Amino acid sequence: MSEFMQLDAKAPATLGAVVEAVTRLSTLGEAKILELVSAGKIADLFPFRPTGDQPIPSDTLAEEELVEASASPLNRKQRDALIQSSLPATSPKKYRPRAASKR
Amino acid sequence: MPRRFVRSAPSKADKRRKVDIRVTNMAASDALWWDVRLGPKHASMAARADQFWSWSVLLPMCHLVQRAKRRYCRPLVIWARTDSGRFLRVGMLIVIEAYPYLDIEHPAESHFAWFMSGADPGVLTTEFGMSNPPALGRVLLDSAIVLSQNAGLAGRIGLHAAAAGGDALLAVYARCGLIRLPATAALPPSVRRPNDGRFFYADEPVAEALAAALDASR
Repeated sequence: MSEFMQLDAKAPATLGAVVEAVTRLSTLGEAKILELVSAGKIADLFPFRPTGDQPIPSDTLAEEELVEASASPLNRKQRDALIQSSLPATSPKKYRPRAASKR
Repeated sequence: MPRRFVRSAPSKADKRRKVDIRVTNMAASDALWWDVRLGPKHASMAARADQFWSWSVLLPMCHLVQRAKRRYCRPLVIWARTDSGRFLRVGMLIVIEAYPYLDIEHPAESHFAWFMSGADPGVLTTEFGMSNPPALGRVLLDSAIVLSQNAGLAGRIGLHAAAAGGDALLAVYARCGLIRLPATAALPPSVRRPNDGRFFYADEPVAEALAAALDASR
């Protein structure tokens, strides 16, 4: 498991790794980060590795299962939810297919 | 009325044929799917700028790095209808909101299309039952433009063509109608990078023209 996957409030060393990585990346311009990612070097700077135990979503969804994104600006709550959804579920038991829940 | 995202796009192979498109927010499961199902195919294509991209890493990284800069990202997934009638992920996009506008002669904010990927059309056909993969370049850019317009930024967007994409990627963005920032132009101070001549942008008239051209597909 990566440090990020183990992140919790009682793990200051892990939190430190997150802060250090984000702080370092925040000093770089977006184009520089794009170049690092394209060169396959981002792992050197951002030590996040998704675990291999997450279920892979199905290839396709029916139209009624999709929740179309709003093209309008999001409010604070929606932004927070979007950021939260960028992190994998911490346990496969907590995984719920988006088709049935989030979407 | 806010402009909507497009809901159809021309087939890449047959421009007269329309392919249904839907746009959703990107979550970790979308990134995982892309990395597992398309990533290995793209990794063998040396000409692709996204050959080594891992969306599972990019997605949280982009959010965190931009939050550290007090900005937000809008990550989106583009879906297209397959021959079975169901929808498949075909494009990925991460837009930074309220980014410095690249044309410093007109100080303003814009949206910045940071990471964009379109699935390889051949893979979509051979592996995923999509006989008519959509042309995605305009769809991806339009999504960024529409977000910018609806956020009150008049459609202004910017992007940097990854060096890994070579001249071919420059040609793609030029063909899409974007303005190439002259290599001699200064960048906004907060961009923190020398101008390598690979920056593109859309000003208000260009953005409106590009968006209006797709209004029938929304």
